[in-house]
Amino acid sequence: MPDSRAHPPLHPLEFRILMVLTAEPSYGTAIVREIERAEGGRMTIYPANLFRRIRDLSARGLLEECPSPEGADPRRTYLGLTPAGRRVARDEARRLRDLVREADARDLLGEAEG
Amino acid sequence: MRRRPEHRRARALYRRLIRFLPHDLGRRFGPDLEDLFAVRLGAARGPLGRGWVWARAILDLGVHGVLAPEWRPTYIDREDGMGGWLQDLRQGAKSLGRRPLASAGIVGTLALGVGAATATWSAVDGVLLTPLPYPEPDRLVAVWPTMNFNGAMVRDALAASPALESITGYSGWGFTLTGQGEPLEVRGARVSVDHFRVLGARPVLGRDFDAGEGVPGAGDVVVLSHGFWVRAFGADPAVVGRRIALSTNDADTRTVVGVMGPEFHPLAHDPDVWVPLTLPPGTDMADDDTWYVNDRVARLAPGATVAEAAEQIRGWARDVREHMPRLVTDEDVREADVRPLHLDATASVGPVLWASLGAVSLVLLMACANVANLLLARGEGRGHDLALRAALGARRPRIVRLLLVESTLLGAAGGALGIALSFGLVRGLVALAPPDFPRLDQIGVDGSVLLFALGATLLATLVAGVVPALRTSRVDATASLGRAARGTGRRGGSRLTPILVTAEVALAVVVVVGSGLMLKSLHRMTSEELGIAPDGLVVLRPSPPTGRYPDGPAFRSYYAQVLERVEALPEVERAAAIHLLPGTSDNWSFPTRPEGFESTDGTTPSVNIRLVTPGYLETVQVPLLQGRTLQPTDDEGGETVVVVNQAFVDRYWPAESDPLGLTLRITSTTARVVGVVGDVRQHGFGSEPRPEMYFAHGQLTWDATFWIVARVRPGIDPAAPARALRDAVWAVDPDVPVGGLEPLTSVYADSAATTRFLATVLGGFGLLALLLGAVGVFGVTAFAVGRRTGEFGVRVALGARRREVLGTAVGRSLVPVAVGLGVGLLAAAVTSRVLASVLYDVAPSDPATFGAVVLTLGAVALGAALLPAWRAAAVDPATVLRRE
Repeated sequence: MPDSRAHPPLHPLEFRILMVLTAEPSYGTAIVREIERAEGGRMTIYPANLFRRIRDLSARGLLEECPSPEGADPRRTYLGLTPAGRRVARDEARRLRDLVREADARDLLGEAEG
Repeated sequence: MRRRPEHRRARALYRRLIRFLPHDLGRRFGPDLEDLFAVRLGAARGPLGRGWVWARAILDLGVHGVLAPEWRPTYIDREDGMGGWLQDLRQGAKSLGRRPLASAGIVGTLALGVGAATATWSAVDGVLLTPLPYPEPDRLVAVWPTMNFNGAMVRDALAASPALESITGYSGWGFTLTGQGEPLEVRGARVSVDHFRVLGARPVLGRDFDAGEGVPGAGDVVVLSHGFWVRAFGADPAVVGRRIALSTNDADTRTVVGVMGPEFHPLAHDPDVWVPLTLPPGTDMADDDTWYVNDRVARLAPGATVAEAAEQIRGWARDVREHMPRLVTDEDVREADVRPLHLDATASVGPVLWASLGAVSLVLLMACANVANLLLARGEGRGHDLALRAALGARRPRIVRLLLVESTLLGAAGGALGIALSFGLVRGLVALAPPDFPRLDQIGVDGSVLLFALGATLLATLVAGVVPALRTSRVDATASLGRAARGTGRRGGSRLTPILVTAEVALAVVVVVGSGLMLKSLHRMTSEELGIAPDGLVVLRPSPPTGRYPDGPAFRSYYAQVLERVEALPEVERAAAIHLLPGTSDNWSFPTRPEGFESTDGTTPSVNIRLVTPGYLETVQVPLLQGRTLQPTDDEGGETVVVVNQAFVDRYWPAESDPLGLTLRITSTTARVVGVVGDVRQHGFGSEPRPEMYFAHGQLTWDATFWIVARVRPGIDPAAPARALRDAVWAVDPDVPVGGLEPLTSVYADSAATTRFLATVLGGFGLLALLLGAVGVFGVTAFAVGRRTGEFGVRVALGARRREVLGTAVGRSLVPVAVGLGVGLLAAAVTSRVLASVLYDVAPSDPATFGAVVLTLGAVALGAALLPAWRAAAVDPATVLRRE
């Protein structure tokens, strides 16, 4: 189990990046498009900010560079999750789920809708 | 995807920007960044949309790419390295952006303080601290500045003082230029032939005066100022060597020998031309009647000191008194001195400027206290946020650092805005300054001024930021989180705020007392009886050139014709002429022997004299006290008569109840007193009336040009008949220049300009201090009662009446105000003495002013405290109790 001291709550953008890469390795522009699609315009993505986060995640051992697939643009860097990255993403998802459950228990969700 | 060519250019430009990114970031994600940029640019509509995409892209690259820490995770608590600082910077900016109103308040307060202080400093720096614009300015001195010299005395003073290397006498003089289109009035100066050499200046064209030109007959030469050369001669270099029609009492034409450069700063009067002072060789001091050399500037010999020169000049003055007792009085000798020219030139405004700088420093301190208060209040409001950080492991130095970064950001914004503000304020200050304010051209925002602004900002930020940062950072995570949930704050921070309020109110008292004293001075000065009625009077000065009006009769007939034309105008009720304009410092005084009067020290008193046309005293409405005024029959044919003022009678004939018929001697003329009139403040507001004699210009036929003084009919604006007045003068002779046309009221207004200037500047600071003080008291009370809303609610619920609750709320805020008023009064009693030399008819400890200031500040503070307290007392107890 990763302990919470090594991995404090992830930044929303970091969590988004990890989620996009859960399915398969991808590259920068595709990641941005995917996040923008998923957020439906609620989140403004500043590209350099995104790539800085990606770099940070790499430095923490959560992402790694992957070989480019056949026929892809050779200039592009493809990224995928490391086993540690997959674990942290899962822990964060669980933490958020627990958080939402607690909010629900406190009637927060009902209040928000009413 | 098809791209338009401009997108290709935009991409290339963006690619270049990517190169500024850290290498690994650019290499790995450069193509992605570029693609995303191109997509957004393609989706943008119109130039505005594309500009927005560009702005965001640059911000993105700058903030996230360049400023971002290298390969470090973005944990909240990172203690070391540049990365942490930069992160703090970003976090600070974000946090400030979340409270735009409070941030704007802090930035605005700082900007006002820094702006006002910077503008004032620019004046102090430019006028008092910048060296005079001459080579080796420290060697230039003013010689016996209180005394009027004649030409021979200038020469003898130099001979008597080996500490002086060279000397120049100096006197403002009016000229008329004809033959160059419209006749022109020309400002000039008579100077010693060494004038330019003393100042270390050389003409850019031709030469300056040589020693031979200081003798009557050889002195018909002139040096032109650069501005006048351009204006009147179209910058024609061939003018050097030419003879021009520049006339005054001793010559009608003069040869141009040189032109000064544009960078040459004249000593005073801003002359267009310089002509040599002349003196027949071997003239004795006692025989020289050129008593108009008002100022002397000398250059110290190498190695000589001001003290040595002063000692030698004092010795010479005693000598003159002993051998020629009629020339100088004992009092003159006591005032004999040599002073650094720089100090002498700015003596009139030194105290004014230092007082302003003192006042503005206090205002800056008040701004700091206000900002500190606002930061404290903000800090209290952020207890929860900071507790969260502490709970996540942030240590105290880290939190202090974050808070300091925030206050530094505020300081930088306030400082930048303040500097921008100071440019405008400096312009306003220069526009507001009286025209005779020395060295006005030196006031501006330059490197040293910017350095001052930077220092002031830094100081303000540190003073205002450190204490709140240390205070706010002392968080107890558990307690604070619990309280934050209930919406109540800590009580600990409240120990500091009363001290800040006390300090602020005390500073405000000091500044407002100063401005109050100045405003009262201005009021006293300008509401004083002048002795004449300037309302409805308009003045103008025709300058008939001596070439066309060579003798007294020609002169007098010219003025008689002008007066006749002016009086014929339908707007004019009556008109007369006088040779010195009232309300200015212009003065003529002559050794006069009143019948039967003996001075205690044996000297002949020098008495002010005014040459007038018959009807002048009636036109300006000087009250006649005894006898009669001057009449048209008082001309060359009749007995010489004189009208004196009451001050003359009081001084020289105090025992005489009826001075009519007594005589006085002036030069070789004996005149009989035919009338006594009231005293007039001839030198403007604030000047004391002196003994004075009025002679008819038909009897004392001296060389003088005259001012026409016309009284317009009731209900007519004195500025209205300007055109008609000029035409009336030109109807007599179209080649005579007309100058100085203005209502006499504005001449008098100018005489109070320095006091008005200081009153306006200090009044502005006083208003600012009042405003800052009110904001401070308001903020602190609002915050204090806001924190105690719960307590008030409980008390109201328990049956306390709202008025009692209100009383408690206001009472607590007013204790520090009262202490501040007391401390401020004591401080003001000391500091207002600085103003003593510029106050008029008001004591520095004027009780009325002090009382009014206490009442005003007290009322403002009460209002500022009542407003938020009222809101707090109106709280609904049910709401509060539910929250508790």
